[in-house]
Amino acid sequence: MKISQKIITNLKSGGADFFLSVPCKLLANMITILENDKDIYYSAIPREEEGMGICAGAYLGNKLPCIMMQNTGIGNSVNSIVSLLQLYQMPVVFLISYRGTPGEPVGAQGGMASVTEDILNTLRIPMLHCNTEEDLDKISTFTNHAKVIESPVAVLCNFNLMKED
Amino acid sequence: MMNRFELLNLLQDTIQDELVVCNIGLPSQELYKINDRPNYFYMLGSMGLASSIGLGLSLAVDKNVISIDGDGSVLMNMNTLATIGNRAPSNYTLLIVDNGSYGSTGDQKTFTNERTSLKDVAIGAGCPNVIECSGEETNENLQKAIDDKNNSYVIISKIKSGNVPIKPIPLNAVTIRDRFRKEIGLVTYL
Repeated sequence: MKISQKIITNLKSGGADFFLSVPCKLLANMITILENDKDIYYSAIPREEEGMGICAGAYLGNKLPCIMMQNTGIGNSVNSIVSLLQLYQMPVVFLISYRGTPGEPVGAQGGMASVTEDILNTLRIPMLHCNTEEDLDKISTFTNHAKVIESPVAVLCNFNLMKED
Repeated sequence: MMNRFELLNLLQDTIQDELVVCNIGLPSQELYKINDRPNYFYMLGSMGLASSIGLGLSLAVDKNVISIDGDGSVLMNMNTLATIGNRAPSNYTLLIVDNGSYGSTGDQKTFTNERTSLKDVAIGAGCPNVIECSGEETNENLQKAIDDKNNSYVIISKIKSGNVPIKPIPLNAVTIRDRFRKEIGLVTYL
C-alpha cells in the first residue's frame, strides 16, 4: 500500500485530478485509494480506448486526466492516442502496470511487454520508468510535464516494484 | 424520412450554447457547412469516441454537453454505453444519428439495418432514459433532454442514409480545441 499511496500522492501533486482505470491486480491498491478519495474524480471503465476519449473530454473541461491500465492497454489504444490525444495536443498521464517484466508469473504477458516500449517510442511518448521506490519521486514533475508539453506521457511501473506493495 | 444533413440543419433550432462533440467524417463536415460555431468540437479522427469525449467533458463542466454520434460509430465503441449508463451526469445527452449505414465510407449497411437495436443495447447497458424517435421528433426530445436538470439521455434518431457533396473542414485540430475551450472560459489569448 505504501508504494501505491506514493504514486497517487505524486500524481496528484503533479496536477492530476481525474482518474480512470481498467483493472490490473498490480493497480488494485491504487484503485482502492482512489475510490475513497473525495478530492478527485475516479471511475473504472471497461476498455482503454474508450478511456482515451473520456480523458480527452475531461481535458477539454480543464482536468488533467490520468488513465491507469496494464501495458496491454496501449495496444488497445494506438489510434485514439495518435488521432485524438496527439492530434489535438492533449495532456494525459498513462499510469501503466508493466506486466511481463521480470517477476511476472504469467508467460503470456511477455509478448506485449516485449513491444510496449517500441510502441511508445514510435508514438514519441515520453516515458518514465519506475523500477525502485526512489523513482516514484519523479512522477510529480513528470505529470506536470504532460501539461507543459501538451502531450500524453507514460509512467511504467515494473512488476517487481508493484508486487512488493 | 429525412437524411443526416436535413436533421443536422433542423437541430440548429434547438442547439444554442450547449457544448457539442460531433462524430468523425461527414457528420462533422455537414455540421461545419450548415452552421459552424466555436461550441462545436469536430472530432477529426478516433472513430467511435465522440460519445466518450462528450462523457468526459460532461463530467468536468456544468454546461450541457451533447455528443452527436452515429450508429456505425456506437457499434464500434459499444462498451461506452455501459459507462454512460452508470456514470453519465445529468448534463450529458448522447444523440445517435441512426441511418443504418456507414455514411462516410460509402453508405455500407450497419447491423442496425438488420437485427441490432441500439435502443435495446442502451437500455441493457443501464442508460436510464433512452428515446428512439424519427428525425422530425428529434428536436422536441433533444430540448427535453437539455431542459431536464436531473437526468442524462440517449436519443436515437432514426433517419435514412445519404450524403451531400462536401469538403473536409479547413480548421486544424488545435484551432478547434482552443476556440472550443475558449467557449468554456479556459482560453483567453484568442
